[in-house]
Amino acid sequence: MVLVQTNESVPIATDDDIVRVRQRVRDTAVSLGFSLVDQTKLVTAASELARNALVYGLGGTVRIETLLNDRRSGLRLIFEDHGPGIADTALALTDGYTTGNGLGLGLSGARRLCQDFELVSRPGEGTRVTIARWK
Amino acid sequence: MERIPILKMGQSLLVSIQVDMHDRLALSLQDDLTQQIVNTRARGVLIDISSLEVVDSFIGRMLANIAAMARVLDAQTVVVGMRPAVAITLVELGLSLTGVRTALNVEKGMRLITESGGMEDGAGSDE
Amino acid sequence: MIKLFEGVLAVPMIGTLDSSRTQAVMEALLQKIVDTESELAIIDITGVPTVDTLVAQHLMKTVAAARLMGADCIISGIRPQIAQTIVHLGVELQDVVTKATLADAFGIALRRSNRTIVRMGKTAAAATSDAEPGTGTH
Repeated sequence: MVLVQTNESVPIATDDDIVRVRQRVRDTAVSLGFSLVDQTKLVTAASELARNALVYGLGGTVRIETLLNDRRSGLRLIFEDHGPGIADTALALTDGYTTGNGLGLGLSGARRLCQDFELVSRPGEGTRVTIARWK
Repeated sequence: MERIPILKMGQSLLVSIQVDMHDRLALSLQDDLTQQIVNTRARGVLIDISSLEVVDSFIGRMLANIAAMARVLDAQTVVVGMRPAVAITLVELGLSLTGVRTALNVEKGMRLITESGGMEDGAGSDE
Repeated sequence: MIKLFEGVLAVPMIGTLDSSRTQAVMEALLQKIVDTESELAIIDITGVPTVDTLVAQHLMKTVAAARLMGADCIISGIRPQIAQTIVHLGVELQDVVTKATLADAFGIALRRSNRTIVRMGKTAAAATSDAEPGTGTH
């Protein structure tokens, strides 16, 4: 059984918000005692997904959650936007695929950096990306 | 908006990124550097990222862009001081930073620039 | 971890490697590279009997990370068995330099750092007079 505690919800509407998301994720990861490398992976993944929410999702939010199961603690991030949504999620998850000017590594990279990853999206219904790392 | 200072060191430019940059600031750094390479006819560009705790694909692309633009302007770019946690994460992220040379610190970065003919000094100078 | 000489580290790995141990050693190596400003690290796996895909991948990722930082790695001491495993598992060695013996890797380290080894005679004076003209010196 996993206990979920929602720590906070950060709006993603501007460039500065992406920086704030990085800072809040870093602070939470530090307080949970994640190693430096794991902190860096979480913050980097968060940066990619926050930018996606802003640039492609036209703005959204990220929920920062602390997870607890009987053995370990974890950090979960849920990025949500009400943008156009992704028509082909499998394609979106391939390295290098981009509909903008990016490198196309945001989604696939975030998945590699985290242990848990879920992408839910449909055209016209926005996008939700959930990532988590466990200590 | 604040701007990241660019220092002139001989025939090279030195940039030390010490803040967590928002995207607009990163783009303006790209523009400023390109402009300064032209203004100063710099032969080398050293970007010190030893203070950066995170390098994501946007910053990675910025570094690659700077290196590419510098090359067109006949200048060598070297990125120095990447932290181990950042390097490990970039490898996992799948970002290869092709076209970007790296060195452990500013001193070694300068040596790379000098050795690759980026600059001449002393007797070899044709000034 | 051993500092062989200025700018070169040697990391002898011994025993069966598991994923988490390899990861820990590799992270420590990268930090040591920064702390000692070493541009070359020799990872010697002579004392490692077998390597699985995960460990091989960790080694490759470490080399890639070191390169991103501005250093390089040589992997030495690859037994025929491990060489076979690497090939069978299809692990991409890319352009990582690998050497069968630590001695070979040491030789590369010397060359890359512009050094050579000079044999000394019974006394320093004897060595100087014994030296042939044109012999390499440090």
